[in-house]
Amino acid sequence: MRKFYLARFVCLAVIAFVAVTAIAQTPAIQLDSGAFKVTGWNAAAATIKDWSPLFKIFAGTGDVPPLLGTYAVEGSTLVFHPRYPIAGGVQYRAVFQIPNGTAITKTFDGPQRDSTPRARVVNVYPSADVLPSNQLRLYIYFSAPMSRGEAAQHIHILDENGKALEGAAAVLLRGEELWDPNYQRLTMTFDPGRIKRELTSNKMIGPPIAEGKRYTLTIDREWKDARGLPMVEGFRKQYRGGPAQRTPPDPKQWNVNPPKAGTSGALVVEFPNPMNYALLQRMIQVSGSQGTIAGSIAVERQETQWRFTPREAWKPGNYRLIVDTGIEDLAGNHIGQPFDIDVFEKVTERITAATVPIPFTIR
Amino acid sequence: MRRTKTWIGIGIAMCLSIALGLTATAMVQSGQMADGKVQLMSAGPMTFGPAGILFVGDSVGASVVAIDTADAKAPASPVKINVEGIDTKIAALVGIAPDQILINDVTVNPVSKNVYVSASRGRGPDASPLIVKVDGTGKLTVLSLDNARHASVSLVDAPPAAAAPNARQNPRMQTITGMAFVNGNLMVAGLSNEEWSSALRSIPYPFKTASQGATIQIWHSSHGRFETESPVRTFVPYDIAGQQYVLAAYTCTPLVKIPVSQLTPGAKVKGQEIADLGAGNQPLDMVPYKKDGHNYILIANSAFGVLKLKADNIETYPAIESPTRTDVAGVPFDKIPALTNVQHLAAFDASNVLVATSKPMNLTTVALP
Repeated sequence: MRKFYLARFVCLAVIAFVAVTAIAQTPAIQLDSGAFKVTGWNAAAATIKDWSPLFKIFAGTGDVPPLLGTYAVEGSTLVFHPRYPIAGGVQYRAVFQIPNGTAITKTFDGPQRDSTPRARVVNVYPSADVLPSNQLRLYIYFSAPMSRGEAAQHIHILDENGKALEGAAAVLLRGEELWDPNYQRLTMTFDPGRIKRELTSNKMIGPPIAEGKRYTLTIDREWKDARGLPMVEGFRKQYRGGPAQRTPPDPKQWNVNPPKAGTSGALVVEFPNPMNYALLQRMIQVSGSQGTIAGSIAVERQETQWRFTPREAWKPGNYRLIVDTGIEDLAGNHIGQPFDIDVFEKVTERITAATVPIPFTIR
Repeated sequence: MRRTKTWIGIGIAMCLSIALGLTATAMVQSGQMADGKVQLMSAGPMTFGPAGILFVGDSVGASVVAIDTADAKAPASPVKINVEGIDTKIAALVGIAPDQILINDVTVNPVSKNVYVSASRGRGPDASPLIVKVDGTGKLTVLSLDNARHASVSLVDAPPAAAAPNARQNPRMQTITGMAFVNGNLMVAGLSNEEWSSALRSIPYPFKTASQGATIQIWHSSHGRFETESPVRTFVPYDIAGQQYVLAAYTCTPLVKIPVSQLTPGAKVKGQEIADLGAGNQPLDMVPYKKDGHNYILIANSAFGVLKLKADNIETYPAIESPTRTDVAGVPFDKIPALTNVQHLAAFDASNVLVATSKPMNLTTVALP
């Protein structure tokens, strides 16, 4: 009886060993740590220089070329290292042609992608609800990096009846997406052909924004973020058309309110008309006797107020605001130079200097 | 003693690294071609210069790279290009979903007739730049940027955001929209994502210094009354009555001619408007050509499709003083209805133009209309 059990055990062990050996020796394809591997086949014993006809990975269907990458024999295993990392949402089909044998195929899915929407529109500038009829640019700030190439599809300007302005009536210029390096701020341009006076488009269709009319900016939730996921929610903002802004910004008209010495209070500069939000972030600096003063900038009151809070308390003395003459208002007029210069009228001032100083004193 | 040796070793290694680093920087900044990794953060507009030198505009990296493609052999027989689903094929090569491939530009090597496609793998800020060569057999080859003979020039001149030293990254970016090689100079047009008054740059090639090139202010005069400082969207070199010009198309569609002799460093140039294509449109690419003894310019547009400008005696057209038709003015043009969804055009040979379409994304040589 004992002998019988022993014989049975030996027999089972042999079968198991043979089975395991057979499995081990059956070539199989694995995806391991971002590389495709042929296991169960001794690649080291083969005298093959070019593995590409034998081992191919396809990341698409139909008549497509195989995935780019390099081959290596690591130990006895044939390994394909893709040139680019394995991507989520892609199915990979690996085909290994056993020399003098059959082909084996295996498909793999790329890593699971996070499917929680996170992006939303956080701000749109101009933030006022009145736009001059020659409004030039619009800044849209997102909470997360977005996908490029979708703006034309997902930004709309609706008229008073809720109808999207399309074709020749389109207000925003399509097809040119101007992003910041993080893809979190998009700059859109109103059709300059309709803004520039005397151009055919301006004469025939008029400015993009008509004074007294109401408009709605809408941004679709379906706009994909950089991960390929839609936004948490869409965005709507209403605007009313105002008169054209033709007078260039004039620093003499700005109201500079210096704080008291010994405090870290904000230096407040007020403008008679709203300014370009993005340019306010970098085109005004504060200079003291020791050079540029470090601090932080805030833009308030619908871009009519610039606030500068110094890192260290103000010392009494004479200071200057150094304003880049390239600073623009909402219509692209900059200091000493309107957006479009009427050459028939005398231009009273054409400033050629790059900056304009505005002195002020801290007491 | 052992510790001393270690420190000496570290010191030597650091000196070597610094020396090598400086050498590498100096070589690149001096503009001499050197083998090495191409520091490309994005691959945008492209144009060919002399003998297989491919210029690639990098808007994210604020630079232009000249890559020696070593592709300067003329084909033995005439070449035709016909690749369907170029985005799907590139996606398969680099292992990503086709909707994650963005084709940025297409150009043709004027000698070899191979087509070069600049693209990005991914649509977000982490996208990888790709330059793909397509030959007459339809074979795709991704250019290795790890070790290529190249030189680069930085376009950085943005003032630092001094008042906001804690800013994570300067949001200002100059998107390169067009490049052309004119009289030994690389002309680079760009659009700023902040200020409107972008300038055209002229960079001598070979890149002799680290200079980002002189800027030229381009003004646009509309109907003789208003002058506007405007960014140029796309442009091509063009001979008019024996004089060299660039034809520049603005973001708001006027087409202007500017004598190359005026495009000198620091110049303020006023272009003369010769055509006004209309509203709500952006010019994308221009290809001048001759057919049956007549001159034409093919213009791809974002909204108007492909237009054929009749450019015979272009020198005789006066600057546009007033709109002469309800929607267009100046040099006459026809619409080419057979060419639809065109995203890019590139000069191919005397009889054909290379057309890149969207929906589906195909690359095809088409007989010049």
